[in-house]
Amino acid sequence: MRPIEIPTFQPRMKVLNREQALAIHTAALEILEKTGIKMEHPTVLEALAGEGCRVSGRDWVKIPAYLAEEALHSAPRQIALYDQQGNKSMPLTHENPFYGTGSDATFTFDMETGERRRSVLSDVANYARLVDGLENIAFCMSMANPVDVPVIEDIYLQVFAEMVKNTNKPIVFIADSGKDIARIYEIACLVAGGEELLQQKPFLLNYSEAISPLRFPQNVMERLIFCAEKKLPICLPSGSNAGGGSPVTLAGAMALGIAENLAGLVIHQLFGKGSPFLFGPNVSVLDMKSTVVSYGCPEWSLTQAALADMRDELYGLPIWAFAGASDAKVMDAQAGAESMFSIITAMLSRCNLIHDVGFLEYGSTSSLEMVTMANELVAMSRFFVGGIPVNDNTLALDAIERVASGEPGSIFLMDDHTFEHFMEAQFLPTLLDRSRYDSWEQSGALDMYGRCNKEAKKILATHQVNAKSDVVLEEIDRLLRR
Amino acid sequence: MAEFNALTESVIKGDIKSAVAETQKALETGQDIQSIIDDGLIRAMDDVGERFSKGQIFVPQMLRSAKTMQECMKLIQPHFKEGDVKAKGKVVIGTVKGDLHDIGKNLVSMMLEGAGFTIIDLGVDVNPEAFVEKVKETEADIMGMSALLSTTMPAMRHTIDALKEAGIRDQVKVMIGGAPVTDDFAREIKADAYAPDAGSAVIQTKKLLGLS
Repeated sequence: MRPIEIPTFQPRMKVLNREQALAIHTAALEILEKTGIKMEHPTVLEALAGEGCRVSGRDWVKIPAYLAEEALHSAPRQIALYDQQGNKSMPLTHENPFYGTGSDATFTFDMETGERRRSVLSDVANYARLVDGLENIAFCMSMANPVDVPVIEDIYLQVFAEMVKNTNKPIVFIADSGKDIARIYEIACLVAGGEELLQQKPFLLNYSEAISPLRFPQNVMERLIFCAEKKLPICLPSGSNAGGGSPVTLAGAMALGIAENLAGLVIHQLFGKGSPFLFGPNVSVLDMKSTVVSYGCPEWSLTQAALADMRDELYGLPIWAFAGASDAKVMDAQAGAESMFSIITAMLSRCNLIHDVGFLEYGSTSSLEMVTMANELVAMSRFFVGGIPVNDNTLALDAIERVASGEPGSIFLMDDHTFEHFMEAQFLPTLLDRSRYDSWEQSGALDMYGRCNKEAKKILATHQVNAKSDVVLEEIDRLLRR
Repeated sequence: MAEFNALTESVIKGDIKSAVAETQKALETGQDIQSIIDDGLIRAMDDVGERFSKGQIFVPQMLRSAKTMQECMKLIQPHFKEGDVKAKGKVVIGTVKGDLHDIGKNLVSMMLEGAGFTIIDLGVDVNPEAFVEKVKETEADIMGMSALLSTTMPAMRHTIDALKEAGIRDQVKVMIGGAPVTDDFAREIKADAYAPDAGSAVIQTKKLLGLS
């Protein structure tokens, strides 16, 4: 008889029990049914009224709970993002975490001078290429709100084109309205080789936001309808940050954010039944001294872990999350502590699409070095979450016996078992420094920032991004000039 | 100077009930209205503002004090006579055309009000003409604009242009703020001040009006 294999427990975090999850969900439904939302898109308002929602005043609408439950049923549970060459690179099914950068940072740290300066378009290119070259960073966002775009209305179009030219990984993109999203979609079709191929193997996901509390602006709804109709994956988190857009207590903030997400989902499924919708609000906190929305707080990690529990208990839809960011003004110890805190907890709670990696200063400043550091912190977390496989081979009784009863000088380091397994049995860091003091000093005495800076520069200087064909590039430029 | 220590303490603590009672007592004993406001309420709010800027208290505590002051002002207002009370300054404020995000703007409004300024809040998505009209109508000292999106930032420039076209640019000071807004941008569009947060908005307003 073959011995029974012992399954490996993969460390896993839970923060809500079923009763808590149900109570938050019920509160969200109550918000939709009793309080309602402000819908500023007339066509959507009409469509909701046609489905049995009660409209009062000019644009206030109350959504019955069954519509939310129906939308949760018709939205697909499996969303996969592909890379730009058609390979399935991000299956967002519920145990898979994927990390990526964030969007629209006003400032960035200049890699050469080390100074914080206003972001420009070439920064978008640099971040995209760095992401392309980092193994554990799965997708790309703009990381910049460039000051040097010629026409401000085209900012998201320009930024998208820049990302497409500099990475083949999936892209999470921002748009302003129904107008620029249509042009971005045209570029995406060019890259994928046509509309049908893009719908089959989407490499992009739109990030849009409702405004907490409960406000759905016209231009945001244009994007939502566009994505629903084109089957383009979208997420619609609102900024239901505790104490800012929502109540200060986390349960209420989650209920409000989930209500806003469910309202978005109802509308989305009305305009495109079965179209992919990534679930989840952003529930951080408004800092009670500075009034910034915190990117380093434990609360955001806690609410998204709670949302992952709600996904498992109730929703089944893959979720939107954040990690690897910080409120620190420079890449210091605070930045390291905060980014690791969110990276490991996002993985332990099995969040799916995890953005904002590499942000400093509560999302106002981007840092290539932070992204580079996060790449290693994600690897470290993955190792941890891999757990401890227990079997004959890993228990290694043979090796123990060999060394114990072997000749004098017989040591584990020399044993074949070590040679054969050390690569997967241990986490082998590259940037986290474990060298002895003297060799660290001899190699320049660089701190973590210095090593990440060096590594980022190296990747940007050497990493080759598979270039798009000349035809596609010319078409993109033609589209940009239009 | 009359003693309003109990009133001042109540406003600082955000104890609405006792602040209102103290105000009532001051009115009943015939205290000078300007003095109740200046030596009682505004003195308290100055203290609150200072504690906040030193990081000794949190935003909700400061806003509670502002709310307490407002409740006291409600009692005082019916006793105003023409020319009784001199306003510190008038501020017309709103988010610019196309921008619907108003948490920051609301916070600025409340803090300015707490500091004794008169606020005319135009709400969200305010077009340049509406700003101009209100500035004219109220003879405002300050016009505050907020934008959260980079795509709506150009509306700040357009609104300043509209002030120029109406020939009133030099009659009002322009202050701007919002997540993507920077000091450089403020200089570029020739705004008079940039405030990165609500606390700075109060400081900038006082500076612009020569009050500090």
